[in-house]
Amino acid sequence: MKKIIALFLFASVATITCAQKIDYDKKLKDLGITLITPAKPVANYVKVVRTGKLLYLSGDGPTLPDGSYITGKVGADLTVEQGYAAAKQTGVSILSTLKAELGDLNKVKRIVKVLGMVNCTSTFTDQPKVINGFSDLMVAVFGEKGKHARSAVGMSSLPSNIAVEIEIIVEVE
Amino acid sequence: MKKLIALSLFVLVATLSFAQKKTDYDKKLKELGIELYTPSKPIANYVKAVRVGNLLYLSGHGPAQADGTNITGKLGADMTVEQGYAAAKQTGISILSTLKAELGDLNKVKRVVKVLGMVNCTDTFTDHPKVINGFSDLMVAVFGDKGKHARSAVGMNQLPGNMATEIEIIVEIE
Repeated sequence: MKKIIALFLFASVATITCAQKIDYDKKLKDLGITLITPAKPVANYVKVVRTGKLLYLSGDGPTLPDGSYITGKVGADLTVEQGYAAAKQTGVSILSTLKAELGDLNKVKRIVKVLGMVNCTSTFTDQPKVINGFSDLMVAVFGEKGKHARSAVGMSSLPSNIAVEIEIIVEVE
Repeated sequence: MKKLIALSLFVLVATLSFAQKKTDYDKKLKELGIELYTPSKPIANYVKAVRVGNLLYLSGHGPAQADGTNITGKLGADMTVEQGYAAAKQTGISILSTLKAELGDLNKVKRVVKVLGMVNCTDTFTDHPKVINGFSDLMVAVFGDKGKHARSAVGMNQLPGNMATEIEIIVEIE
């Protein structure tokens, strides 16, 4: 009798635990997000390094499906709304890298830390509103697990004049 | 008999593990024409490296030369990409000097995990990765696969003392 109860409890817990798995393909589809194929690094660095339970990602830009970037300087040739869209696209690029690296986005335990760098003029001060494009996406996709510590800053220039560059640290299973 | 085989296997594995892991970094650096130096001491309320668990967080380093001076200049204004690459490489030498001073033996470096490469440049400069390659190429030349790192290469409108590059890294150690 005790064994049956124990087995039943185990099966219940196992089922409930399994039920925590999220169908990210469906979630991304619901959000209208299509992941891209991450570009391979063209120099002596890699996209992701794992150390213990942490993944350190290289800075990523607003990569479009055709491999080109959203470029421009916020406060000069891009509005805050366009910057937000660029930060969101950077999020799509980063999700694509995570999916390629982990195989399953369920392995993401927490988005820990984000450094959001905005290519902007020296008088631009709304960097947080731009980087919200990325942060909002992380929370929309991962829920509580997507809530991260963050710094949003201005850069005088970024590689290839991309509008936004974002690097993150992720805790994985 | 079984115990003897198990012991022999253990000794063999231990020997192989030990023999393969240690690299003669003095020889390697000499072959690369790299000379480390004694790192300068911080002059303010910070330290060069902080260890947390098996991660070592380094302060930002500049292209410090053996005499203590930094390579200065702004990419896109008074420095070429090639000069920037050389500055980033020199920053790598500065960082290797700190690692050697901190760890005693570069074999303790398990992996160069994450690099933030900051280039002092004009706001129209866009070749930051080509500059920071000076650092990345050095890490891979010295550490091989252990030197392959995640990286961000970015532009800064100014850096301390007008130095050409500032690089901070996170290293996983034994």
